[in-house]
Amino acid sequence: MSTEAPPDAFVAIEAVDFGYGAEAIVDAVDWAIPRGAFHCLVGRSGSGKTTLLKLAAGLLAPQRGLVRIDGVPLDGPGPRIGFVFQQPTLLDWLSVLDNVLLPLSLKRSLQEADRETARALLERVGLSAFAARHPAQLSGGQQSRVAVARALITQPALLLLDEPFAALDALTREELQDDLAALWALQATTVLFVTHDIGEAVYLADRVAIMAGGKLHHDLAIDLPRPRSRAMRYGPAFNALCRELRQAMDAAP
Amino acid sequence: MRERLASALLLVALLAGWEAWCRLGRVPALIVPAPSSVFATLWGEIASGRLLPHLAVTATEMTLGLALGCAVGLATGVLLAEAPVLRRLLHPYIVASQVVPKLALGPLFIIWFGFGLTPTIVITALICFFPLMENTLTGLSQVDSGRRELFRMLGASRLQTLLRLKLPGALPVILAGFRVAVVLALVGAVVGEFIGGRAGLGASIIAAQSVMDSSLMFGGCCCATI
Ligand SMILES: Nc1ncnc2c1ncn2[C@@H]1O[C@H](COP(=O)(O)OP(=O)(O)OP(=O)(O)O)[C@@H](O)[C@H]1O
Ligand SMILES: [Mg+2]
Repeated sequence: MSTEAPPDAFVAIEAVDFGYGAEAIVDAVDWAIPRGAFHCLVGRSGSGKTTLLKLAAGLLAPQRGLVRIDGVPLDGPGPRIGFVFQQPTLLDWLSVLDNVLLPLSLKRSLQEADRETARALLERVGLSAFAARHPAQLSGGQQSRVAVARALITQPALLLLDEPFAALDALTREELQDDLAALWALQATTVLFVTHDIGEAVYLADRVAIMAGGKLHHDLAIDLPRPRSRAMRYGPAFNALCRELRQAMDAAP
Repeated sequence: MRERLASALLLVALLAGWEAWCRLGRVPALIVPAPSSVFATLWGEIASGRLLPHLAVTATEMTLGLALGCAVGLATGVLLAEAPVLRRLLHPYIVASQVVPKLALGPLFIIWFGFGLTPTIVITALICFFPLMENTLTGLSQVDSGRRELFRMLGASRLQTLLRLKLPGALPVILAGFRVAVVLALVGAVVGEFIGGRAGLGASIIAAQSVMDSSLMFGGCCCATI
């Protein structure tokens, strides 16, 4: 993709290269996400999705090229970016509620209102009954949901999610997709969402990019109406988009 | 519960075996006294109030030595883990210095600090220092990279990362080091008293040796074990 970043892009990834040693993991990637858009990135395992996401977060520094957030070159992780890691990475010695509050408690002392917000978020991800538990007492999928709630508590302007629902069953995953879509519509957050599930990408995104071998190969605008409903998943338009993405993935080297 | 009972029974069986061996085998009481005479002597010492002050002295030395050694060990461990330059510079020497038999330094410490509690406390502290430092260092360096990335993402300062991520994460390893240090502290305190103590369990064991009172020596060892 060598589309010149439009001026209103909130996230602009400009000719970014990254590699460990000589091998290129992310290779001349250009990508722009308009303010408030929901973009998905799909690709095979090992294609460099996580690496690209960490570059967008400022956790990794590009070897060439530049990432801009709101026009400003990114030089490290910042408070405006929320990140949901591929592993839940919760702290075992804190309760679920304290894990969700962690981003706030590192910034300032907590108020009762913060605890209320955290409880409301846990409610949204269906874990209000588990607030006092410790992460070791949760299932893998419940842990991922705590990680999503933790990323949302700071109300970040940019939310980066790395396969957050990969460990969930299909039913819960669909519920959480609806929740995430609703939260996104509410909060005017810009989202970049990594997944290997084509259906998930089509259901959530305004635009889907395919990554293969460190390059972006294909992108597809999803013009399904919003809000999207479960029934849409079985409609012909949805399936046609899934098929097109699938064929593009097969065609990518 | 079952296991508790079994291990208590084992102790009783062992003591009975020891008693029987002493009585039937006609072992001279100077070499191995029978448990009954050990307990009798021990009881006499406690009842006469001669043992308790010694016990208090040893407990004081052990506690102070343990606290000092652990505090310095923890601080050094944190410092070396946080400053890789210092670590590369100092760590090899600290490890090498552990080869020095610290008890052999006892006479030197007596010259430096005089007779009394201080030399034993210093020896105990030196012994406790190493397990704490080494475990703190290992524990802090083992913190998983995903969590470190999380703290970086959340904009945590270095101090916050240390206090809220690394130390809590390393706590199990540090506590394991502490348990080792507690055991070593007792050995350090008692053996330190062998060398320069006038009071304490170690000193009473030595005193008992000079009057050939094997029962009391065994009693002192039992006390130390408990
Ligand atoms: N720390 C690292 N050191 C060396 N190579 C790495 C490192 N991290 C990732 N890689 C390599 O970079 C490539 C891309 O990794 P990345 O994690 O971005 O893949 P991914 O697309 O997220 O895969 P998955 O879907 O399995 O999560 C892989 O080939 C991986 O081996
Ligand atoms: Mg990945």
